[in-house]
Amino acid sequence: MAYVATRGGEKAIEQAERLFREELGTIDMARVAAIRQSMPYLIDRVMGEASLYDEDMAALALAQTGGELSEAVLVLRAWRTTQPRLAVAAPLLQEDLLTQRRISAAFKDIPGGQILGPTLDYSHRVLATDVLEGKPFAPPAVEPAAQPAPAHQPSLADWQRQQGLVAPAKQSHVAPDDIPDLTREPLLFPASRAHRLQSLARAETGGVLALGYAAMRGYGNAHPTVNELRLAEAEVVVRHPSGTPFSAGRVRVCQAEVTSKEKGGYLELGFAASFGWNEVKVIAAATLDLNSAEAPVGSPVHEEFYLYHTESVEASGFCIHFKLPHYVTFQSVLDAMRDAKAKAAATPVEAEQMEPAE
Amino acid sequence: MSLSSLTKPWAATSYGFLDASAKRELRRKMLKAIAVPGCQMPYASREVPMARGWGTGGLQVTLTLVNPASTVKVIDQGADDGVNAASIRRFISRVSGASETWDTLGASIIQSRHRVPEETLREDQILVLQVPNPEPLRGVEPNMSIARQMHADADYGRLWLTLYEQLVRKGRIMQGAAYPSLVNGRHVMTPSPIPRWDVPKLNMAKHLTFLSAGREKRLHAVPPYTKVEPLVFSDRPYRVEDHQQLVCRRSGIAGYFMNEIPQDDGSSSFEVSDSNLGIKAIRRAEGETVDIGQTWYRGGEFSA
Amino acid sequence: MSIDMSVSPAPLLPPQLMQTEALLTMRGLSRSYGAVRALRNVDVTVYPGEVMGVVGESGSGKSTLLRMMNLEDTPDRGDYRLRLPDRDDCNLFDLGRYQRRMLCAHHIGIVYQNPHLGLLMRHSSSGNVAERLLIAGERSFDVLRSKARDALDASEFPLARMDARPAELSGGMQQRVQLAKAIALEPALLLLDEPTTGLDVSVQALVLDTLKRLQRDRHITMVLVSHDLGVIRTMADRVLVMRHGEVVEQGLADQVFQDPQHPYTQQLVHAKL
Repeated sequence: MAYVATRGGEKAIEQAERLFREELGTIDMARVAAIRQSMPYLIDRVMGEASLYDEDMAALALAQTGGELSEAVLVLRAWRTTQPRLAVAAPLLQEDLLTQRRISAAFKDIPGGQILGPTLDYSHRVLATDVLEGKPFAPPAVEPAAQPAPAHQPSLADWQRQQGLVAPAKQSHVAPDDIPDLTREPLLFPASRAHRLQSLARAETGGVLALGYAAMRGYGNAHPTVNELRLAEAEVVVRHPSGTPFSAGRVRVCQAEVTSKEKGGYLELGFAASFGWNEVKVIAAATLDLNSAEAPVGSPVHEEFYLYHTESVEASGFCIHFKLPHYVTFQSVLDAMRDAKAKAAATPVEAEQMEPAE
Repeated sequence: MSLSSLTKPWAATSYGFLDASAKRELRRKMLKAIAVPGCQMPYASREVPMARGWGTGGLQVTLTLVNPASTVKVIDQGADDGVNAASIRRFISRVSGASETWDTLGASIIQSRHRVPEETLREDQILVLQVPNPEPLRGVEPNMSIARQMHADADYGRLWLTLYEQLVRKGRIMQGAAYPSLVNGRHVMTPSPIPRWDVPKLNMAKHLTFLSAGREKRLHAVPPYTKVEPLVFSDRPYRVEDHQQLVCRRSGIAGYFMNEIPQDDGSSSFEVSDSNLGIKAIRRAEGETVDIGQTWYRGGEFSA
Repeated sequence: MSIDMSVSPAPLLPPQLMQTEALLTMRGLSRSYGAVRALRNVDVTVYPGEVMGVVGESGSGKSTLLRMMNLEDTPDRGDYRLRLPDRDDCNLFDLGRYQRRMLCAHHIGIVYQNPHLGLLMRHSSSGNVAERLLIAGERSFDVLRSKARDALDASEFPLARMDARPAELSGGMQQRVQLAKAIALEPALLLLDEPTTGLDVSVQALVLDTLKRLQRDRHITMVLVSHDLGVIRTMADRVLVMRHGEVVEQGLADQVFQDPQHPYTQQLVHAKL
């Protein structure tokens, strides 16, 4: 069957995968642990985009994909989606978060105080080339403050509500199982706010940044002021079958609330949150949320546009699928093109007439 | 009664990879799709261990349909040994225990990218087409919510207009594959990028066809014995690719859809795109007893 | 806020229309957009074959009224009937989207001031006309071509350019393509929203000539909205004057222009003269 042997088929794909994996070498717990410990922000980014909070799994995904981020997110999501949904955690309240970083650009000082927390914001971005010369970089120790910052801070928006600057919060009573879940339902438009924020939470960081930046630069209506940005840890509170709420563990979360201008007598707020500490992503995402209301259909700040195009698994998958053979469709195009050309050649004068002046 | 007696032994994934809640949603959407032929049904489209755009929509439908008694054929561009087809087929059989086949006649489920096999499908067979873009209106209306409204209103004027424009500008309709077609006289669908050659095979077919787009989270169906009419003007007939006279350089068969192979001397030669049909023809020519089914095209002419 | 409660005499008709049944009847139309009351209790009657001019400054509600006639918008209150052969009489605002679209495709043509609203700029001119026929169900390419050609010809569009894209055409030509699209199915009602505004005066005159010729030869019923009294005077049999969403005066064109009753109309007419 010479016909079959001329095609690579199964053997080729097997060997291609081996080639990729061989170069990465053996993956063991030590490697997973090293990635988890040395790259917490990368882990956070991957956990956010995968919408799966597990540092070891995120580190494993990075290890087995060699840090190819869209692949890492895909393996995590593909694993996640096979898992049952055991419980719905209680909503997080801002005042209950163990806040480690919390800043507002709206006021010089805010109730609860500005807490810088860990950040590179004010550092000089100098590459530590000495390390390559063999001199390890040991970070200087942090000097503890005389008084530790309080672990819990109130929400700035609550203070603004008391002042009548922000619209009163509407308490919504949705049964936990009725909360829309983007991972189990299609995203339709106009999207519910729950779906929009869920979709942004797991959106591809670079994509959200690009479109959020477009909104900030002027393709959106609203120029954001960071009302409150938080990096925190949150208790995942679930209910035991006996009815007792308990914390099943603690996760890193971040959130951004941005505001722009008055609308209907109140400041408009845009919001975004995600698993892990992903500052840039949530600021950009909150800006998109803020701009959504007035966005013209088809513009980059319209929700259908930015939610579809920041979906990491879909975008990367579609992009790489163009490597697949397309010779059937191409053949079909060629057939029409050749026939049209032959027609045009046979009747040059008529063809001339049919083509309008450009 | 103990907890362990109530639960199944631990397994990394459910039977057929997708968990029960995902399959239930898909079954419901597949039934709805059959009930309203050609109408796109949104579904959650779970992630599968394969990149989007690589047949994840077709795969989810196949994984929902498959059972250990199934026999699965997977083709890409008509070929069973295309790298992605091989990878999908291996995955399906691994997670379901279904048998694999290359033979169209022996398959109960055929998952395909870009082709409908040349051998006529039967009532007991299901064709699952992988769809990159399920929306025939995308070219005239990129916004999906507006396009949905247009389908609801049977608002296809601008789609027709694009065909009119091609006739005006080029003297013929230039649409290659994915030829927009009216299903059951109501919904226009894109039949996935199968060539024009394959569209008539869906019309009043004996088999059920699912068309599923994983990335776009939409599936639609052409039930058995349902009308599928390519959008054409009454005085400009539908034309399939001009492959009637082409001869396969390997198997010698003619009158089927071909792949063009450019030659060093500037000419082209051709190979039959339905590769297993070619293999069967070669084996028969070598004296083996091979069962080749009735084909939709006979002597290059469609004759269902 | 004081509302002008002034003269709105019963519409006078030219003698030949006195016995005719109305083609279009709108009663009690009101529409608010937020705090803006765009239409307040507007009544309109249009008779077959006449040209009804609607005048008023921008914001007077005249374009909103036209959009209502084209079923692009629904009022908060009001009734709209068209007397069409083979159609049951009903309030057209009660129709669903699909029925509205089919009704408009078959019976109502519209020409917008802004050709971008009425035309697909990247398709051919003939295609823009053909689209209307396609929506109505025409499926023969040759018939589409010939009907598009006829409609463009009737709109005095140069047929040598029938497949040029509107984007490549002058403003006057674009209006002729819109007109051809509007009349392709011989509509019962032709709506014209400032059709010549923004065109050169000479071009404007030519387009108005075409409209007049169409009106004379085909007796198409027209509703012509314009802020330009000159245009209205040239075209209209009857005139409806709008201000702040209300009809303040209506009557035969000659009467309204020669003997305006409402102070606002007087102001308009005198400012023009």
